Amino acid sequence: MSRTRGLKARSAGGSASPPRPLRPRVPLLVALAAGMAALLAGASGAFAGSLTVTILRHDGKPLPGAVVMVHSLDGTSKPSAPLRAVMDQVDLKFTPDLLVVPVGSTVVFPNSDRTAHEVYSFSPAHPFQLPLYRGKPYPPVRFDKPGLVTLGCNIHDFMIAYIVVTDAAFYGETDAAGVWSASGIPPGQYRVEVWHPRLVGNGESLERTLSVDGAAPAAIDIRLKKSLRPAMLDGHMASWDAY
Amino acid sequence: MGRLLRLAAALCTVACGTAAAADWQLSLDTRLVGSDGRRSFLDGGLGAVRYGENRSGLELGRFRIGISEPIGSIVALRLDASSWGGYQKNPIDLTEAYLELRPYPRAGFRARVKAGAFYAPISLENRAAGWESPYTLSSSAIDSWIAEELRTIGVETQIDWLGTRLGHDFDVGIVGAAFGWNEPAGVSLASHGFALDDTQTTLFGRVGRRGAQPVAGFQEFHEIDGRVGTYEGVELRWLQRLTLRALHYDNHADPASFDAALGEHAWATHFDSAGARFESDGWSLIAQWMEGETYVAPAGVGQLEWPFRARYLLASRQWGRNTVSLRYDEFEVDADPPVVRGIQGGHAVTAAYIYTAGSHWRFTLEWLHVRSSQSNRRIFLGETPLVSENLTQLAVRYAIDGSF
Repeated sequence: MSRTRGLKARSAGGSASPPRPLRPRVPLLVALAAGMAALLAGASGAFAGSLTVTILRHDGKPLPGAVVMVHSLDGTSKPSAPLRAVMDQVDLKFTPDLLVVPVGSTVVFPNSDRTAHEVYSFSPAHPFQLPLYRGKPYPPVRFDKPGLVTLGCNIHDFMIAYIVVTDAAFYGETDAAGVWSASGIPPGQYRVEVWHPRLVGNGESLERTLSVDGAAPAAIDIRLKKSLRPAMLDGHMASWDAY
Repeated sequence: MGRLLRLAAALCTVACGTAAAADWQLSLDTRLVGSDGRRSFLDGGLGAVRYGENRSGLELGRFRIGISEPIGSIVALRLDASSWGGYQKNPIDLTEAYLELRPYPRAGFRARVKAGAFYAPISLENRAAGWESPYTLSSSAIDSWIAEELRTIGVETQIDWLGTRLGHDFDVGIVGAAFGWNEPAGVSLASHGFALDDTQTTLFGRVGRRGAQPVAGFQEFHEIDGRVGTYEGVELRWLQRLTLRALHYDNHADPASFDAALGEHAWATHFDSAGARFESDGWSLIAQWMEGETYVAPAGVGQLEWPFRARYLLASRQWGRNTVSLRYDEFEVDADPPVVRGIQGGHAVTAAYIYTAGSHWRFTLEWLHVRSSQSNRRIFLGETPLVSENLTQLAVRYAIDGSF
């Protein structure tokens, strides 16, 4: 159940499509039954809620690609179930260059480039290495500990990527508008954590706690007080760097 | 040279014994050349560019083969061989041949060890495979000299702290090397001074034409006095946008040594070099500086010194398939005592436009203007020392790569 919620939340963040209202073609009996069930659930305090997190930079522009992790403080929601993800290497870049996966997930690292790569991490959350390879990937790597795993290629120093391993009940990434949202969140107390590579070291705490209930959608609006650290160089010809 | 040949043979034996796939690169660069320059220093003259007026027309820019062969997972053999047309002693010859050990990083640190023949980490413009520049055809005065006279034939170790993998903004590296077989380095500075060109002296080749004066076909990569040269340097990279490099080089040669069979002195050469490269939004800005001294002490003559210094500024803008670059060079070679030949001073402007068509074709139009004064032009050739040279080149380059 939690896996489904986690995945739903993630895809909602990625597509940025607003929740669609119920259409009138729903059969009347079903609608009435649903309404009764909702009323009963509301009376008992178990009506699932929704959460929208909006993150803006200090200059008011949206911050896309920020990782949002929602942890249950009172045990009403369990960590998301593990999944299997893929991080490819295309044109001397990790693709995608950011993955968020639940604890226990596995990630496979194919190499779609003609040249060989050597993937490594020396992050405490999961140090590992995949000796020089091209084409067929090694067996998936399993990430059992929450934390940040920073990846590099030992042949191409400019390649960098991140895997955020989380035990959050809900998680995802902000979209181009800086928004991530999730629905179906059981009422309870939650801690919201935010991570972005350009927030590291800027000293600003972005943790928030909040209550979710079924009465009204919960929302967190964050506007950074400090500017982001500069981005790593991107977009230049990778073939330039042989020395 | 015999040792070098044995080293190359041993490297090839090791490479052929491995089953891992090797990456290879091939490129052919042809040029349409227009020049009003003097006969080049590579061609029996004292012109400061690659092609003098006598070489206008269609020329081979460069034919290159590069091979990178993995040996296990953390060692690779790298070989680079090129042909530059009419100037070379051998039709095709090695510019670099070395083994690179690159263990996995641990706790943020990584060591890299190179053994063989390769370039010291000085240049900030010659960053592409084959020690080519993605900005211009002709290298700066500093890098033209490095390509002409310097090659580390020995062992280099670099230790990097990969801070960007630990959440920091920068990486730091220190590098040190011990080398031999490079005692003639410096003879070109005293003979023709700095030049701006894109050839590289090959490991078994020479600079200039045999018998020409004063660039008499020097063979650069020889051991003359048995002493070990060293360099040590530091590199800082900020978010991969800013790269700072500094290096101190000293071949520790005995200036009194002379190899009668080779007919060459050991040139004691030491210099400091520092540079910065900044990249952002398609822009590259590079500044580089070098200052040092080379000297010999022939028996009965005393010590003859040639202090030298050079610097350049390069600005480049890349958008889409287009790259436009502009560089300004200044260079100077003095002599002490001042009656010694080989006093040079000059500056150069390089403007280049590169159009990259897909992954195979690249078209470059470059204009190079060099204005230099060289006392040897009067001493050896009876020419006026002060010369302005203009070299325009249209280069068509086709490159392919793959693995086997």
